[in-house]
Amino acid sequence: MPDWQELVRQRLPGLALDAKDRDNVHAELAAHLEESYETLREEGLADHEAIQRTLARSGDWKDLQRKIDSARTGKDTMTNRVTQLWLPGLLTFALSMGLLAIAQKFGPRPIVLELGKGTPILMLYPSWLMILPLAGALGAYLSKRAGGSVPMVLVSSVFPVLPYAVIFMIAIPVGLVIEHAVAHNIATAAFLSLSLGWVLAPGITLLAGGLSTQFLLSRRSSTHSASMI
Amino acid sequence: MIGLGIKRGTAELAVLSVLQERPLHGYELARRIEQQTNGALRFTLAALYPMLYRMEQQRWIRGSWETSANGRKRRCYRLTPLGKRKLSPLQREWAELFRALRQLTKVTHA
Repeated sequence: MPDWQELVRQRLPGLALDAKDRDNVHAELAAHLEESYETLREEGLADHEAIQRTLARSGDWKDLQRKIDSARTGKDTMTNRVTQLWLPGLLTFALSMGLLAIAQKFGPRPIVLELGKGTPILMLYPSWLMILPLAGALGAYLSKRAGGSVPMVLVSSVFPVLPYAVIFMIAIPVGLVIEHAVAHNIATAAFLSLSLGWVLAPGITLLAGGLSTQFLLSRRSSTHSASMI
Repeated sequence: MIGLGIKRGTAELAVLSVLQERPLHGYELARRIEQQTNGALRFTLAALYPMLYRMEQQRWIRGSWETSANGRKRRCYRLTPLGKRKLSPLQREWAELFRALRQLTKVTHA
């Protein structure tokens, strides 16, 4: 028979309750699962089948965690969004900007992309890009810890580039339509290199950190669950 | 498809009605509802416990830990006076809804 208490604890790792409340919820759900399993065994089901059926009747654990948090703490979806997206996202943003400032001050010289007449239009900081996965990993970790879904975790990790993405994807094209004075070949070159430097390159490195964290945390969680059955 | 509000309403009515008979713990409660509705209302953990906790927050029910004859600790839920007061209008509302739907179906079939 599985250790139901441990199974529940592993599947609901991020309940936003104090320790006593969390233990009570774990104990209550474990008692429910144990009783369900024993009833199925008494009805003649094999051990493995009874375990599978009991787990199948549990429903979605992430959904359960989110609903329990909401019901016990009285917090609504909006509050969950703050802890799962906005807070991790803003911290990731602050950290990545802090790292950029450090890279600018203490790091090696940037790679400069220029327009024809020596006008720099983009400075890439390789040292910044190399440590940026840490910021992405932090955002993903905080979001995951607050019970965020996979999309929420990944958006939190790439959060710092989202404002730039909005500016470059919307503001620049709109500006071009309104302002005809700028030569379109120059504007397109600027648009592409700014998108590369402020959205694509940092976005990819942030996402690398976020994906690694998501992968590691999911793997750890599924390994724990599998080892208990 | 039955909407979320209706589903929640029927589930709350079911829980309050069953707890009116006697205090029960979560598993027993879910099993009793499933048996009494011939399997029409079946709860997963994700549906049952958040609802029980929400109803507890609203003070319609009260949960307390009890030790059964075989030494097991379980959280038992009982109806509070507020829950009892909530049950009657809820039953009336649902009876009215079903009556209206029956009437509508009769008219549509005629």
